[in-house]
Amino acid sequence: MIGIGGIGNANAADRRDARFGYALSAPALTMLFLVILFPVVSALYTSLHEYTLIAPNYDTFSGFENFMLALGDQEFRHSAWLTAKFVVGVVLLEFVIGFAVALMLNKVERFKPVYYAILLCPLLMNPVIVGLIWRMFLHPNLGIVNYLLSTVGFGPVNWLGDTKIAIWTIILVDIWHQVSFMIVLLLAGLASLPKEPYEAARVDGANSFQCFIHITLPMMRTVIVVTLLIRLIFAVKTYDLIYIMTRGGPGISTDLLSYFIYRTAFVSLNIGEASAMSIILLAAILALTVYLYRYMRAIR
Amino acid sequence: MFKKLLLGSVLALGFAGNASAETINILMEGVPDTEFVKQLVPEFTKETGIEVNLEVVNYAEMHTKLVPQLVAPKGSYSAIVVDFYWVGEFVKAGWMQPLDDRIKADNIDTSVYIPALMDLVGQVDGTTYMLPFYNYAMGLTYRTDLLADPQNQADFKAKYGMDLKVPATWDEYLKQVEFFTRDGMHGVVNQGLRPDPIAMEWSNYLFANGGEYHDANWNPTLNNEAGVKAVEQYKTMIDKYGPVGSASFSFDEAFNVMAQGKAYSYITYNFFRTAYDDPSKSAVVGKVEIMPVPGPTPEQGGSLNGAWGWAIPKSSPNPDAAWTFLKWVESKEIAKKRALAGGSPTRTDVFDDPDLNAKYAYYPALKQMLLTSHNFPVFTYTPQLVEVLGRELSLAVAGEKTASDALAAIEAEMAELARKDGKLK
Repeated sequence: MIGIGGIGNANAADRRDARFGYALSAPALTMLFLVILFPVVSALYTSLHEYTLIAPNYDTFSGFENFMLALGDQEFRHSAWLTAKFVVGVVLLEFVIGFAVALMLNKVERFKPVYYAILLCPLLMNPVIVGLIWRMFLHPNLGIVNYLLSTVGFGPVNWLGDTKIAIWTIILVDIWHQVSFMIVLLLAGLASLPKEPYEAARVDGANSFQCFIHITLPMMRTVIVVTLLIRLIFAVKTYDLIYIMTRGGPGISTDLLSYFIYRTAFVSLNIGEASAMSIILLAAILALTVYLYRYMRAIR
Repeated sequence: MFKKLLLGSVLALGFAGNASAETINILMEGVPDTEFVKQLVPEFTKETGIEVNLEVVNYAEMHTKLVPQLVAPKGSYSAIVVDFYWVGEFVKAGWMQPLDDRIKADNIDTSVYIPALMDLVGQVDGTTYMLPFYNYAMGLTYRTDLLADPQNQADFKAKYGMDLKVPATWDEYLKQVEFFTRDGMHGVVNQGLRPDPIAMEWSNYLFANGGEYHDANWNPTLNNEAGVKAVEQYKTMIDKYGPVGSASFSFDEAFNVMAQGKAYSYITYNFFRTAYDDPSKSAVVGKVEIMPVPGPTPEQGGSLNGAWGWAIPKSSPNPDAAWTFLKWVESKEIAKKRALAGGSPTRTDVFDDPDLNAKYAYYPALKQMLLTSHNFPVFTYTPQLVEVLGRELSLAVAGEKTASDALAAIEAEMAELARKDGKLK
């Protein structure tokens, strides 16, 4: 009896605690609902209607027509495929470079704050400014990059005006801008690793490479997945660099999805179709996030 | 700097709150002509007691800022400036007030405006919605010193059997471009960036070859000899006679190449003319002049027209005060003052003014340019047409589509847009 009564009391206390907890988190949840859920639901609702800026009303319900239009549009499919390639490209390259630099920095003892400060500089800059600076640097005739190349005998490179080179130029600039993000996150992960396994491995005669493969990588897995995931989501949204540097050109060689959606919304004024495209993009990112999250949980 | 701005805005707010006098708000783009209006506004306030608040923003922000205010029953802008791009859309959506009654009541003479500008940013289907504010028609800027050089003249004559002089036709100009591409010089510099730089510049090539965008019934007329020639010439200019990378230049980068003395010619907006004579921006001070883009014959021009107009939105909180301002800012006296400061006029009487002709030797050329210029198709979907042009022309320049294929694609999409707008039956 005492036991049951005790449990009953505990339940009541728990419920009180829970109620108090809900009361405390209610303001935050309301805000979240207003600023995140509401726009998403609103976009979903808009995507099911023929909503344009010329006739901004929800009078015509169009079902999935906007989705069919988007998926049937060759330009949309081209942009989506290009975005997929771009995202894989930047995330992988930034990861490899970022991890290498993080490993090196992890060993550094002196002037660490100085390195940090330098590395963080690009990350602190607005992407629009990054785009403008690089547009100036990469000017084929008046830019400093081609000038430096010419001093060692390379002809002028058509950084942004060649369909084959332009996307790589964007990738390079994106790496310059974003790689520090990878470095900082991975470095934080490395710094928090315990020292003991390494000492034990050394005693057993493992070399640095073996230590990296069998200790560092497995212990870093969670950090790596989270870093990749965040970077991946950001990369899908790349818009500023394209807007400033190429406007999707030359031809359609750098026409990434976010910029395409922007044009559908604010040039074509077709908010309905643009919302449908955003929902498709959101679904793709969500699926990827869920997959990576599950993967992370599974290996724990 | 930031503190000053903050202080300034606080003061401005304070004054706005205290002022019992009427205030009109206008959203404007940060361009030279806006500056000239701003400098004269105190005169207006002194005359009428109406305060004027000019909100100056970047072009890219304007449309997104305007639309919510125009859709609202009572917006915050008393008057607006409208790019010719938006005219079709604004009229279709019914966002602008017709000005005809006001014009009649105040005996305003709109025949003083250059007719092509009145068509572009004045009247739509017989109703006047706007007064033309300033023009940005495109002209051919070229190096006078290179043309005048005796050695160049002798070489040119030997090679082509004709005199080297200010080109009278498009073909003559193309020969000069080829001729001047030597010794590290480029015959031309282009602005091949998507979407508006390339679409606007290429339009001059189309008109210069005698082409037009559509016939009287809005059937697209691009995929023909003139259109194909225009695309192929444009591609040749970028590949052969222009600097590396001009396929991705916006107008500022192209202008810099020209201003650094590395090119013979550049087709650009006429308000750049004054910048060539500014030593802080240009290494070719006094050596560049502007003329209408030459056409297929000496009588025809190939220039593309462009302009902004003043309008009063339906959602204007105080349309009467806004009209008082429009009347003032577009009066001969103020239009002349703006032009004297360096503005790009829209009135013929300003173009013919002796004071202005004494100050700017190129005024007759500018007037000729506007009189012979061609208009871009103005309809609800003008911005989309520019997008389509930008994409397809860029593909053609990159060599991923033939001129004819690109033009066929533009024609198909243009016809669809015109049909959607009810222009094409």
